[in-house]
This record gives sequence, structure tokens and C-alpha cells, in this order.
Amino acid sequence: MYHPDVDVTHRYKYASADFVKHLLSTTVIVAILTMALSAIFHEPVRPAIKINQYANQHPLEFVRVAMGDLDGKGEIADYGPPYNHGTGMVQDFVQKWIGILHPVYPREDFVLKPLQYASVINPKIKSYLNRFDKASPVQQKIWEANYNRALSHARYEGGAIILPSGSYGPVAGMMQGLLQVGQSGLMTGALDRSPADYQFDNQNSLLFLQGKPLHNAASKLELKGDQWGIIHEEDAPYPGPWWMTIVTAIYQIPFIAHASAADAMALGSGMILFLFLMFAPWIPILNRLPRYLGVHRLIWREYYKKYHAKDFTM
Amino acid sequence: MNLTVILRKKMGQLFSLDTWLPTELPEYATGFMYTLGSLTASSFVMLLLSGIVMAANGPQWWTISQIGFFVRGVHFWSVQAFFFFMVMHLLRVFFSGAWRGGRQRTWLLGTLALLIAVPTAFTGYLMRGDFYSQWNAVQAKDGLNALGLAWFNPLNAGQMYGLHVIVFPFVLGYIIAVHIAMVRIKGVVPPYPTHEELEEQGVLTTTDKKEGYHVSSGR
Ligand code: HEM
Repeated sequence: MYHPDVDVTHRYKYASADFVKHLLSTTVIVAILTMALSAIFHEPVRPAIKINQYANQHPLEFVRVAMGDLDGKGEIADYGPPYNHGTGMVQDFVQKWIGILHPVYPREDFVLKPLQYASVINPKIKSYLNRFDKASPVQQKIWEANYNRALSHARYEGGAIILPSGSYGPVAGMMQGLLQVGQSGLMTGALDRSPADYQFDNQNSLLFLQGKPLHNAASKLELKGDQWGIIHEEDAPYPGPWWMTIVTAIYQIPFIAHASAADAMALGSGMILFLFLMFAPWIPILNRLPRYLGVHRLIWREYYKKYHAKDFTM
Repeated sequence: MNLTVILRKKMGQLFSLDTWLPTELPEYATGFMYTLGSLTASSFVMLLLSGIVMAANGPQWWTISQIGFFVRGVHFWSVQAFFFFMVMHLLRVFFSGAWRGGRQRTWLLGTLALLIAVPTAFTGYLMRGDFYSQWNAVQAKDGLNALGLAWFNPLNAGQMYGLHVIVFPFVLGYIIAVHIAMVRIKGVVPPYPTHEELEEQGVLTTTDKKEGYHVSSGR
């Protein structure tokens, strides 16, 4: 039970204080501290990964990502709500229930539309697209499957993807075209077109990069979830968001890390732990714990010394 | 029920000089341990000041300007200071059992401040526009989507910017202000009573010294 009367002492005096001076001095301390840290250590910066840079450095990887978007087997194509009707990344019923809030259909949005824009400049692409559109869905699937299989034997030479001969229909030309769009630096713009005139949203360019491109870069920096990634700053000696340590630790529990609903479980249990902290004053044993821990004897050391020297034992 | 009368009463206390500008404090409430809350508040002030300078210059100012880069660094280290002092402050008030004597709501508001500070910092990380932003955005989306929070779209820089520079700081600032006002109105929590005092009050009848300052549970 909680006893407000016995839990507080009543014998204490007031001492005069200058509250304004107190607040000004803590602010000056923090101002000097943060300005000095910024002047000496700056802030870590690691340049963003750009699509054109990725397409130039890893052309075949780029094409593999694009093929996943085209044939519907890529991560985003098969993600599910809030992006589309896929099922690959659906962790629980709430996610389904919320529905499609940010529609993304990678086949159209990531491949066919950028190619359409590019076809205005390069008529060859237009003929590939026409041929692809006119073919039956079954025929399209066959070309895609053939191309996918051949990709593992592909080479990249002098700007061209060189494949063993096979029946790829227009898909080979389309991928060559998309690679050029990617390398040109125009891909980000083609992906992030908003229905409004102004552009504030980079959802689709990030979703295009989110699989292999970002994951490979992140795992080198030990930023992935199972590498305690949430709390790592990208430049090792700098402090990261260490206040997420408990949530990050939950992610490392094998039972949760390997669950298909890993994120929902880790964040959910982090929230439950936090509720214990929040409602500590009302939770029977927890709300009396500090008294038994005895750290308060240190906090109010001077006070106890002054008035209770006899009683005061550390 | 006169709403104006109720509000006058509440506001009168909330905005009174006694609440915000005390000239005397309990003598036990001095020293470094009691500075941690103010250091947290001061870090928040630094965040607001550096944030306002950056917002006034536009989101990519720091990439083209030396001063911008410096101000951004001040903002970054102020975040670290803010969380550091806040956690130290949390430990101080926890070990003081500072929710005693009808101060539970002060504690609750404090934890709420911590809770809101997390997405405030997170949306800030998304504003750096570097690899760390890209990575945090794509990693966070899965958890948010799974929790039914897809409305909060970390891939939408415009939405994140608005949340980071106005919505979260406003909510956080409001919580901090009421938190501090409540500390002042209730007065900082007095120390746990000693064995001696408890005996005087007739709470402890035994002179069993092993019990120290403790009140046996249930009483
Ligand atoms: C935004 C961050 C916060 C700020 C700016 C802040 C500020 C303050 C200040 C200035 C005080 C006056 C006494 C002192 O400085 O020790 C105080 C007291 C208090 N704070 Fe906070 N606080 C914050 C977060 C928290 C958190 C996270 C908790 C706990 C979960 C908390 C719980 C309390 C309690 C219970 C008191 C009363 C202490 C007493 O009566 O001795 N605060 N806070």
C-alpha cells in the first residue's frame, strides 16, 4: 500500500535561491559544451547512395533489382500493405487491416514508367515496350524467366549487358535501356514523380534501393538489425541513438530475431517494458523499490548528515 | 460549471510567478543531482535555438555552408546531451521515489517526454539526407507497417520534416513545460523519512535496527 504521510519527511527548511541564475548557468554550460563538441568533432556524414552511382558500380546487381520489380518476385513487388497486394512482408493482421496507404506497383512504377519517359529520348526503347505490351502475359513471363536464368551467366562490357544467346524477347533491350536510365542520373527523378507539381516525397527511389543496394552497404558498416544496427552510428566512434539500446537488445533474442513478425514483436515488447516504467508509481512492488535500494541515501547525503547523523549509515 | 472560472484557477497557478520564479527552495533540493532536470531543459533550449537557425536557412543549408555544418553539429551534440541528462535525471528521480506524495502525474509526464523524444530524434536522423537517413528510413518502415502505423511514412521526407521541426517539438515542449510547472506546484519530493522519524510518527514500533529506514510493506 502507498502511504503518502509516512513516505515523506516533514522536517526541512527552505533556503533562498536564484532560480533564474540557476537556469541561465545550466544553459550556458550546455551551450559551451555542445559548441565545443561541434567545433572539435563536427558531426559524422556518410554520403547517400545514389541510383546512378549504384548502376555504374554494380550494373548487373542493378538489373537484378529491376528484374525483381518487373517479374513481381522482388521484395517490394511482393511486400503487401501499405504498398500493394503482395504477401511477402505482411507480419500481422493490423498491417492488412490498415490497407494500402502508399500504393506502389514496382512493375509499372519502377520499370515500365521510367522506360516510357526514356522512350521519348530513345525510340529504340519505344519499340521494345510496344513489343512487350502486345505480347500475352504468358509470353511475358517466359521471356522474364529466361532472362532471369541467363543473368547469372551475364557479363558487363563497355556499357552493355552481354548474355548467352536465348529467347528474351524485348526484355533484354528493356533492361539495357533501364540500366542506361539508371546510370544517367535520371532514374531518381523518374521514380519520385508526385501527382502534385512539387516534390517532397522520396518514397519510391528509396524503395527501389532498399533491398540489396542499401543492405550490402549497411552490413559493411554493421548497421543491420542483427548487428545491433539500430544503435550504431554509421561512423564507429560517434555515439548513435543509444537510447534505443533496450529495443535493439530485444531484436537480438533468437526467438524474436527469427520470427516472421520480428519487428512487431520486438517493438511491441519494448513498448510493454516502457509501460512498466511509465506506470511504476502505481505498480505495487516497483513503486517501493527505490526505498529498498537505498540510493536515496547518496542523493540526500548532506541532508541526512545534517539532521540524522546518528541514524545515517552508508 | 463556469469554464472560464475553472481555467482562471488552473492558469493562475500554472502561470504564476511563484511557479516559475521561486526565490527559495527546500534545502535538501540542492546540488548536482537536482541540476540534471535543468540541464535536460537547457539542452532542449539549445535544440530549439540551433533548430530554428537551420529551419530558417532551409533543409540543405549545411551541405553548402561552413556555418551550417557547425550549427548542425551543435544540434547533433545537443541531442546527445538532451538524452544523456534526461536518463541521468530519470535515474535520480527513480531512486528518490519522486512519485510519492501525489506526484505520480509528474513522473507520468516525464516518461511521456521520453516517449515523444524518441520519434523526435528519429525524424531528425531522417533529415540528414545521408546514408544514415536512407538506411533508417527503409529499416524503420517494416516495423511501423507491422504495428499499423503506416500512416507515419519515414520514406516521405516532406512528412518527416514537418513532424520533426514543428509537430514533435511542439508536443515535447508543451509536455516539458507542464512537467516543470507540476514539479514546482507540488514542490520537489522530500527525502525518505529515517528510522528515527518513522518511530516518532508511530509507524515503526520495533527498534529492530536491521530494518533501517524501511517501512515493512503493508504498512
Ligand atoms: C524532457 C525531459 C525532461 C525535463 C526537461 C525535465 C525537467 C525537470 C526539472 C527541471 C525538474 C526539477 C527537479 C530536478 O531538476 O531534479 C524535474 C523533476 C522531475 N522529473 Fe523531470 N524532466 C524531464 C524528463 C523526465 C523523465 C523522463 C522523468 C521520469 C520518468 C521525469 C520525472 C520527474 C519527476 C518525478 C520529478 C520530480 C522530482 C522531485 O520531486 O524531486 N522527468 N524534471
